[in-house]
Amino acid sequence: MQSSTHLSLTPVVTPDVRHWLLAAVILTAAILLFDAIWIPVKADLAQHLLERSWLRTLAGEPDAKPWPWADTRAVAILEIPRLGQRMIVLEGSSGRNLAFGPTLVNPTLLEETTDRILSGHRDTHFSFLRDLHTGDVLRLRTSKGIRDYRVGWMEAVDSREQQLIIDDSIDRLTLLTCYPFDATTTGGPMRWIVTALPEPTM
Amino acid sequence: MSNYTNSRHNCHQVHQDQNHSSSIRDELEQRAWIQNPQLARRMARSHQCKFARGVGTHRHMRWQDRTLLTLGAVLMMLFVIRTETAIADTQNWGLQLSSESGVYTELAIDTVIQMDITGLVSRVQVTQNFTNNGSHWAEGVYHFPLPPGVAVDRLLIKVGERLLEGEIQEKETARRIYQKARDSGQTATIVEQQRRNQFETRLANIGPGESIAITISYLQNVSYSNFSYHLRLPMTFTPSWEPPAQLNSEPDKPHLIAESSTSGHTLKLHANLISTMEFAAIESHYHDVDIRQVDDGYQIELLNPNEVTDRDFELSWTPMLKSHPSTSLTTFNDGDFVYAQLMLAPPLADSIRPQAREVILIIDTSGSMEGASLVQAKAALSHALMSLGEDDFFNLLQFNSDTEQLFDQSVPVTRTSLYRAQNFITRLKANGGTDMAPALTAALGMAEIPQLMRQVVFITDGAVSNETKLLQLVARDLGNSRMFTVAIGHAPNSWFMRKTAEIGRGSYIHIGKPDEVEVQMSALWGRIQLPALTDICVEWGDSAEYYPEIIPDLYAGEPLWLLARLPSEPTMIGLCGTLNGMDWNLNINGWDKVRLGTGREAGPGHAATGGPGGDNLAKLWARKKIESLEDGLMFGADPELTRLEITGTALDYGLLTRHTSLVAVDKTPRRDSDELLAQSNVPSLLPAGSSTHIAGYPSTATGWVSQLLLSLFVLLLSTSMLVFSGSRLPKFPGSDSNVTNASQIPRNIQHI
Repeated sequence: MQSSTHLSLTPVVTPDVRHWLLAAVILTAAILLFDAIWIPVKADLAQHLLERSWLRTLAGEPDAKPWPWADTRAVAILEIPRLGQRMIVLEGSSGRNLAFGPTLVNPTLLEETTDRILSGHRDTHFSFLRDLHTGDVLRLRTSKGIRDYRVGWMEAVDSREQQLIIDDSIDRLTLLTCYPFDATTTGGPMRWIVTALPEPTM
Repeated sequence: MSNYTNSRHNCHQVHQDQNHSSSIRDELEQRAWIQNPQLARRMARSHQCKFARGVGTHRHMRWQDRTLLTLGAVLMMLFVIRTETAIADTQNWGLQLSSESGVYTELAIDTVIQMDITGLVSRVQVTQNFTNNGSHWAEGVYHFPLPPGVAVDRLLIKVGERLLEGEIQEKETARRIYQKARDSGQTATIVEQQRRNQFETRLANIGPGESIAITISYLQNVSYSNFSYHLRLPMTFTPSWEPPAQLNSEPDKPHLIAESSTSGHTLKLHANLISTMEFAAIESHYHDVDIRQVDDGYQIELLNPNEVTDRDFELSWTPMLKSHPSTSLTTFNDGDFVYAQLMLAPPLADSIRPQAREVILIIDTSGSMEGASLVQAKAALSHALMSLGEDDFFNLLQFNSDTEQLFDQSVPVTRTSLYRAQNFITRLKANGGTDMAPALTAALGMAEIPQLMRQVVFITDGAVSNETKLLQLVARDLGNSRMFTVAIGHAPNSWFMRKTAEIGRGSYIHIGKPDEVEVQMSALWGRIQLPALTDICVEWGDSAEYYPEIIPDLYAGEPLWLLARLPSEPTMIGLCGTLNGMDWNLNINGWDKVRLGTGREAGPGHAATGGPGGDNLAKLWARKKIESLEDGLMFGADPELTRLEITGTALDYGLLTRHTSLVAVDKTPRRDSDELLAQSNVPSLLPAGSSTHIAGYPSTATGWVSQLLLSLFVLLLSTSMLVFSGSRLPKFPGSDSNVTNASQIPRNIQHI
């Protein structure tokens, strides 16, 4: 703000300078635009590469990496039959991994029945969370098999006041994303938490 | 913008257009500027404005400048803005009743809190009494805040004549009972909100005027910092004082009936601090208490029973240290076994000779560390470098897909070596995979510096998939080194990090936020700078099962706790170790101890043979056993056998584990059927063992939509601006193409 105000008031703003400034604004806007478009494109593109590494994981390759320099691997596939969604879940919820797909917050997958928490960006992979209803089926494919979960409840929590407790003695699946879904800014404290319990028939 | 700015703005633009014809005036102005800047400024302003009035309008120019300004501001907004847009519901603690007359919260008439503190754990029992003051039958939900990381393992509810008792059951059994109850429509919301630090249970059919007594009980870990033990108890569940004005303003709400009873609420708190140790201080931070010394320790009682409190109860106690290591032994005999807890307190810090050390710092720079994690790790490293002593040696390693070490061998702390290390830290970048093994091998395999104790400080988020192999590697190559792990990030692999430290006879800390780096690293450094007693061994006697199996060193200001299950009362326990570089031995006479009773069945005024809190020892020991059984799984123990063993131990000792859970069963002696009727499966927050941990919330929004819209807006507006001005001011490079563009723009827009 300060510098722009200053510039426009000093006599140095000749038409030439103004045009250069304008060009700079256009360039910056174009870069930002590209940067913004790149986020969903990357999110989508990575899923395709991950799909291939997932097949290799299923084939028995122990540490199949989606691309050679990756510091993560595909650990599961999340499907929501009602919404026709399917996405590859990555290990470790660092900001870098979240750009590529939903991630598993707790790192170890010792047992089949355990407390799994998946987090994803509310405006890329997990944007479907706003369309979920209580009772929807979430299907999780891991190397240990397929499990169905049913959405039990959903709630918004304040991350400043509550901690995320991972209790491996409970068999459940939790989806976590930022809240509210249509917030214009990022970095807010609210999280939307969807808890699903295993289908008793399984 | 104010009028003044407007006019100036206007003026100087005109001035620009007149530039070529007024070079003489400019020269005059310049001279005046050198002689008297203030006068010159005034002159210039009056000149310009005269011109402005005379010439009139070039309005499109001002419009362009303003738009440019706005666009710049919008772009800047893209980078800067951050707002918080939603608010969480506030929680009402207490008994929430719903009946025909609506939903209202009933507040407790009285609350009794009993705490038995034995060493590192406290058994907390809370009893609250309520009355259904409504005139209808109601259904109730009881909410109770729990401190982070505890699980309710005992539950007793009395509603009028009915009695509900919580029982630890094998998970499958518990699930069957629960499902049967659910199928009959009794428990629709039972496992709700397990993510929160709260206990919740549901009660049905509470008659008008009926009284409800709820007793919950849990084990809470005692924390240790700054040479004292701390225990914090949330008090938010007790009725808080509300201004009377608010009461009068809403006279219709049913909860007001309960509100009036707030004045009669009593809070009783009684704590037993069980120890043979003497304490330098016992302190209650926010409440007035009465402290009495008794045979087996201290008794702490809240002075004012009518106290209405809005603050957590916080108790801290500081052990009295001597010039030599001291011990305190507590035992509990349950008939079959004797459980013993031995506390080993370090000598005073002044009587420990600081030893020079060799410190090897390892930092993980794999891709998963990118962003905040690496920033925190770098800060932690710099902090570590600054805390090195004059006689210490150090080395620095980073690893991702490759390992890089700063010096071939550890070097003394000099200005040059520190400078090189600082440079090394500054240029660290996170990229690549997590290949931990070569780094560990390199650090542990480095040539040892004679006479120095090697401390390896390992900073990582522990995002690895081959934990077992790495732990085996540490166990094999450790030698005389000590391993300290610093976990970084919101959800590190804490199990792996903790185990590495355990095997490495060191300690583990977790830095979750950037502002914790300073505090946590200082704590770690303060701890490891002064090793008081090293290479400790304990001789418990025959067929003793003891934990921890690998005994860490004793550091200044931090007592060590050892647990064992013995076949009979101990007569002699032998200790050995190295103190200030010399051999050290101590024999503890088995009679010199505190014997504990269960304290449970005895109630108030229990038998004189033993104090309360005995079963704490048994449970604590069982928790350690389960933890070690679970660890065994990682090292190839048979899963089915381990599961059976864990379940057996958990049922024997009444512990919550991944194989057992707490079920509330109706124990009322009535009804013709012998069958137990389950009321609810009580949410267990955190069971024993290593299966649970607390994580932070990851950031889960990219904000690309708003960025896209805003940048698109700016782009469109600025391009159209360029197009306009391009057609009128052909000076701009590349204006030829702009002219053609301009011709395509509809006429009505061109004439703005």
